[in-house]
Amino acid sequence: MIDPSVPARRHLRLPVQTTGRQVVVFADAADEPVDWSAAGISDVADSRDFTAGRVSAQTLREAGATVFSRLGIAVVAAPPDQVGALRRPVLSVSPELVHHVLPDDAYVRGYRDGVADLAGRLVGTGGDGAAPAPPVFEDTAAATWGVQAVQATTSPFTGRGIRVAVLDTGLDLAHPDFAGRQVTAESFVEGVTSAQDGHGHGTHCTGTACGPRVPPAGPRYGVASKAEVYVGKVLSDEGSGDDGGILAGIDWAVANGCAVVSMSLGADVAEAHPPYSAAGRRALEQGSLIVAAAGNNADRRAGDFGFVGAPANSVEILAVGALDASLATAWFSARSLPVPGGEVDVAGPGVDVLSTWPMPTRYETISGTSMATPHVAGLAALWAEATGRRGFELWATLTQAARRLTEPSADVGGGLALAPQEGAGAG
Amino acid sequence: MGSPLARFSVTVDDGHRADLDEVARALRDSGLQVDRVLGTLGLITGRAPVDARPALLAVPGVSSVDEQLRVQLPPPDAPVQ
Repeated sequence: MIDPSVPARRHLRLPVQTTGRQVVVFADAADEPVDWSAAGISDVADSRDFTAGRVSAQTLREAGATVFSRLGIAVVAAPPDQVGALRRPVLSVSPELVHHVLPDDAYVRGYRDGVADLAGRLVGTGGDGAAPAPPVFEDTAAATWGVQAVQATTSPFTGRGIRVAVLDTGLDLAHPDFAGRQVTAESFVEGVTSAQDGHGHGTHCTGTACGPRVPPAGPRYGVASKAEVYVGKVLSDEGSGDDGGILAGIDWAVANGCAVVSMSLGADVAEAHPPYSAAGRRALEQGSLIVAAAGNNADRRAGDFGFVGAPANSVEILAVGALDASLATAWFSARSLPVPGGEVDVAGPGVDVLSTWPMPTRYETISGTSMATPHVAGLAALWAEATGRRGFELWATLTQAARRLTEPSADVGGGLALAPQEGAGAG
Repeated sequence: MGSPLARFSVTVDDGHRADLDEVARALRDSGLQVDRVLGTLGLITGRAPVDARPALLAVPGVSSVDEQLRVQLPPPDAPVQ
């Protein structure tokens, strides 16, 4: 992970210069006129009055205030306290900064330092100082390492009001951890009428995505504890299924308004499969985000990095890689393909993950990108609840909010997906 | 025909999403045994002889005809799923 406590090289920093003007961000970009005279400001230039909205540098220098109406921002030649006299809700007032192109000598110094740092790391001296120790998460009596790492345990959001579909081998419908929960279940497997899970994989994934906040026994392992659960059995008790049932499950989930569709399944093919691309795009258009496992076809211990399989390698489907408890890429987790859609988008906890298993076993600890995927699906439900966002907006929110890691982006995408915390989604 | 049956997923283009039943009918006429018409996604799944693919692809409104992929999970006791 990226540790801000590591000191930056100070000689690369340039002194911050300001112009004496203030940059004012209004709370609304509405067209209401601003009473500049209240703040003693005259000579107001408005970007709407200029040809093609282009305000010249000279105008900016000479005007008492330059208003960029489309952005709801103004640059004002007045001290901050004077700006405070404006009778208009203001989000922020900041000194206007002078920005510089990075000077050549600084670039060269930076390059030299980068090389020195790399050489230091290669010979094991750790550059200038020890590398930051990554956090190592642990299962506790209260919560699994996974729900701690994604900060679900400190999130005030629960996925309430959000429908989450888990398309897998079904769910142990009599599992005590789901007693009293709203569960809608359907089978799309030929000749099988019940979504009852006779494998275990689907029960495990459903538990991670939607398990309770306080399970009746053992630690917390689930992310979106109040989400409405849609269980689509698209894989048989032998763990197999084909497009027909899987696409039917997606169609059902989208038709039922599921904001998130979790698919811990895939085939090891390197080409995007057109029906999944169409399904992913049309699902996004209707407010449903499909989250799929990147795949377990790597064996990094043997130098094999694998590749993201279908359906996760479709542009329109979010691909999830797996991390271990020290936030390193799991040895089996597939690497991005060098084609659009073939990337790992984000990562989640996927090694030694405890979750529900069909009774009487009740809980089981297993590993896979299949286990990382429902963590991310549950997190998407929390963000959907917190922000009201759906589809591609929800996708962007989830990846922007991820915790950056120093692992290659080809392996973990935007990093470790995180839960929204108090105040997320406001404003 | 004599050709063995394969499972296909047929992607219907955006311009024919409203005419899905009509596209399904034309696919039947071209040899597809339709299993499902997925109205929300604009997809049709079914079975047809392997060599029927070009005929299915020629149906108006069809943008892609793909043999279905098969997913196989490891057994329940495998450590990596």
